[in-house]
Amino acid sequence: MIRFEQVAKRYPGGHDALIDLSFTVAAGEMVFVTGHSGAGKSTLLKLLSLVERPTRGSVHVDDVDLARVRRRRVPQVRRGIGMVFQDHRLLMDRSVFDNVALPLVIAGAPRAEAAKRVRAALDKVGLLAREKAAPTLLSAGEQQRVGIARAIVGKPPLIIADEPTGNLDPQLSVGIMQLFAEFAQVGTACWSPATTCT
Amino acid sequence: MNVRRRPPRRSAPEATPPKRPRAPRPSAGARLGRWRDHHLYGLLSSLGRLAVRPLATVLTVTVLGVALALPLLLQAALDNLRAFSGGLREAREITVFLDPDVGAAAAAEIAAGWRGRPDVAEVIVRTPEQGLAEFRQLSGFSEAIGVLDSNPLPSVLVVAPAGAAADGSDGALIAAIEADRRVDLVQHDAAWRRRLTAIMTLGERAAIALAALFGLATLLVVGNTVRLDVQSRAEEIAIMQLMGASDGFVRRPFLYAGLWYGLLGAVVAILIALAMHLALRDPLAQLIASYGGQLTVRGVAPTALLATLAGGAALGWLGAWIASTRQLRRTA
Ligand SMILES: Nc1ncnc2c1ncn2[C@@H]1O[C@H](COP(=O)(O)OP(=O)(O)OP(=O)(O)O)[C@@H](O)[C@H]1O
Ligand SMILES: [Mg+2]
Repeated sequence: MIRFEQVAKRYPGGHDALIDLSFTVAAGEMVFVTGHSGAGKSTLLKLLSLVERPTRGSVHVDDVDLARVRRRRVPQVRRGIGMVFQDHRLLMDRSVFDNVALPLVIAGAPRAEAAKRVRAALDKVGLLAREKAAPTLLSAGEQQRVGIARAIVGKPPLIIADEPTGNLDPQLSVGIMQLFAEFAQVGTACWSPATTCT
Repeated sequence: MNVRRRPPRRSAPEATPPKRPRAPRPSAGARLGRWRDHHLYGLLSSLGRLAVRPLATVLTVTVLGVALALPLLLQAALDNLRAFSGGLREAREITVFLDPDVGAAAAAEIAAGWRGRPDVAEVIVRTPEQGLAEFRQLSGFSEAIGVLDSNPLPSVLVVAPAGAAADGSDGALIAAIEADRRVDLVQHDAAWRRRLTAIMTLGERAAIALAALFGLATLLVVGNTVRLDVQSRAEEIAIMQLMGASDGFVRRPFLYAGLWYGLLGAVVAILIALAMHLALRDPLAQLIASYGGQLTVRGVAPTALLATLAGGAALGWLGAWIASTRQLRRTA
């Protein structure tokens, strides 16, 4: 499902974030990437979501060469990925419900069905009661879980999560990891880099 | 950095090709529903954006309203002037004052002679007695006239030119009348009308130029407002793009916001125009009446109102499109 071939990423300014990275991930696999801070884990995710382009080498997702994806096609690729960000990246002026619904609104899902799926996703991360809250009022861990609900709500074939359990206590972390494992079981490659993981 | 993996619990994904089946093309009904939902989303979030900062929105809309009102008012002024000058244009008569020593019989003779001309439709003779009676009716003159022992007024011939003469074509007739030795003075409106036509042409050109200028101002005001809005929402736009929002999806709320700005600006412009009409109608009617005119003051034409609404909306949309597209090119 994911194939990195001799990928290198050098940021403008000459900093090498990734050098000669090759690996593959099959569908249904759940993978943890570990490394010290600044090792390039987030960079890896940015390459997958086409936020950054590799300096050398190639990245394939689902047999699609990402280097050949033109700007106009980028949104389509991203709609197939559920992303959890290290810094949450929630819309602070929208409710928890609206944040989680965003991928469905973008995909144009019928509203009644979307509402059902948003509540199911919020239920899975234990935030069903907070659907009307503003994200700013939530704790860091709760914000993290809103981000996770947003990533899984569209049932994407691929989930990438950047330190999704960084702000969670061990018990919640296990719960989230189980959630991702469930996804992997139903044929979803789940990709979850974390410095702290079991 | 190292990659640790938990092997798939099922063996199936490895055995079968991991390629997932292409989603079937959604039905026309589903696509229409999605299109409607996307536009509804754009519409609602654009309204939300205007409502979040009411003061800024009111200021922007008022500026747009003033900018759009000026061409509208000029247009209305021109409409009134055109109607007024149309009334003048009908008055093409040439007033001919004969020498005072030309008698009534001679005047009738001259009139008969001119009636024979092909470019003359009608000649009316006003005898000195008729003239005196007319003067008497004007208040304040009757006593003055009473002390006169003889009628000082000449005979007057009012000549109506024939045909739908354009400007200047009465020139030959006027020249012929002026050449007559029995004629003392010729009065006609040709010069005044020519001047009025020139003023009207100038006014119409100025209206077009002003409309273009203020249209450009509308475009710039909306464009700049939307540009600032896009900039202040850079983070939100980045998140939506990461979630797979297309440029069209990101841009739509801004386009609707531009549309609202333009439409609301046009509504304000129309309100300004109506207020001006109400304020100026009566004094203007009095002014026209004092010139002996019977014209009613016209309001702004309904077509001009519709054109302002359509133009405002189109300019708002276009300004928002230019600004948001430029900003999106930069982020992406
Ligand atoms: N946009 C950028 N421009 C320049 N350098 C960058 C940029 N983004 C990341 N880097 C550098 O690339 C290296 C890898 O960054 P990355 O964010 O991938 O690390 P990470 O493994 O996610 O670290 P952490 O565990 O702290 O999140 C870092 O040294 C960082 O300074
Ligand atoms: Mg990181």
